[in-house]
Amino acid sequence: MADDIRALSEALAVDPSSVAFVALAEALRKRGDLDVAARVAAKGVERHPSLVDGHDVRARIALDRQALDEAAASWESVLRLVPDHRDAQKGLGFICFQQGRFAEAAAYLAAVAEQDPDDASVAAALDTVRAAAMAGPRSSAAVTAPVADERERSTTMIPAVEEPAPITASGVAPFARRATWSRADAAILFDDLLTDVPGAAMHLDEAGLVLAGRYLTEDGRDLAAEVGAQLSGVSDEATRAMRHFGFGAWTQIVFETEVASVAMAPVGQGLTLVAAARTVPLGFLRRLLDRAADRIRAWVGE
Amino acid sequence: MATTPFAPLLQSIIRHRGVTGVLLVGEDDGLVVDSVLQVGVNGAAFAALTASLYRKARRSAEAAGLGRTGYFELDAVDGRVLAAGKNELVFIVVAEARINVGLLRVELLKAVERLP
Repeated sequence: MADDIRALSEALAVDPSSVAFVALAEALRKRGDLDVAARVAAKGVERHPSLVDGHDVRARIALDRQALDEAAASWESVLRLVPDHRDAQKGLGFICFQQGRFAEAAAYLAAVAEQDPDDASVAAALDTVRAAAMAGPRSSAAVTAPVADERERSTTMIPAVEEPAPITASGVAPFARRATWSRADAAILFDDLLTDVPGAAMHLDEAGLVLAGRYLTEDGRDLAAEVGAQLSGVSDEATRAMRHFGFGAWTQIVFETEVASVAMAPVGQGLTLVAAARTVPLGFLRRLLDRAADRIRAWVGE
Repeated sequence: MATTPFAPLLQSIIRHRGVTGVLLVGEDDGLVVDSVLQVGVNGAAFAALTASLYRKARRSAEAAGLGRTGYFELDAVDGRVLAAGKNELVFIVVAEARINVGLLRVELLKAVERLP
């Protein structure tokens, strides 16, 4: 990456009117040099005010810097140039959601969904936003809580609009005490457990449907339903096998694949499942599963 | 059962405390290729059902985009089953619940590496 940045900087130095500023700003953003990235993007946009990608990268940099209004302004510039720009609509949907403007968030996401009705992640995000709108305004603390890793999220070019603010330390405890909950809560139920772990957690009901949690891919898609449906079959097979093993009920299944480690346990009538990158030690993964199981028990009031 | 080339691999695992059986089975058919079992362990059942479980895990993981499955472990109230596969063969370890899983996992993966 350092080589790329050097090469792009040199290209821009040779020709300041080059649109290489977009790639340079993006590379700087990915490296975390947000102030420099913002300066490069601002200067580039000044030279190329009609370059959509320039406004787009500027928005993502602003998002990384938690400057939501600035990000929104840049994405609005994108939409003035390309009214149906998908990433800009998603980004604005995400920002509106973060700011508790659910109706506007829903409108942006509905526009994205209209463009691509088969995109399950957008449909899920729209459901989440609408559920949040029905549940009423969130507390300002929850809405404005800093996102755990905004930088990584926005590198995907698709801001995870379905993601509400993560559960903060002060926001976790109320989950256990709630008598009612919304779908928005369900999606983020395990997020605070995964703050430092590259992974995912979810809980499936007895029918194999996702009850809580999510499985976000690098490009922001939530594959919880797909992954859950596939992996829940393993637990069914285990239950059948246990009748012949004489070991009593199964308590945990762990397996390692080329890219991930997966652990699952029966909790209540359902199945709690965590997955993490192979770099995460198995012992840690088991403890993560225990914590996720405790969380779901508290959540459903067991 | 006649001694097979896999006997030393099986013996290297069965000697661990808490291990009650070690089997090498075909992943697709669940048939035993070789095994070392303590008295009372139903080798055929563990072979067939664990191979099926391992196969299910492998296929599910692949379908979920997680890639090829290596190590698999099933923990139960009164025992554990560990498995790892290579080239359509699956090593299965049947053990008591209170074993050193970390050590056995390493031994199992080493044994799998030595499979042809």
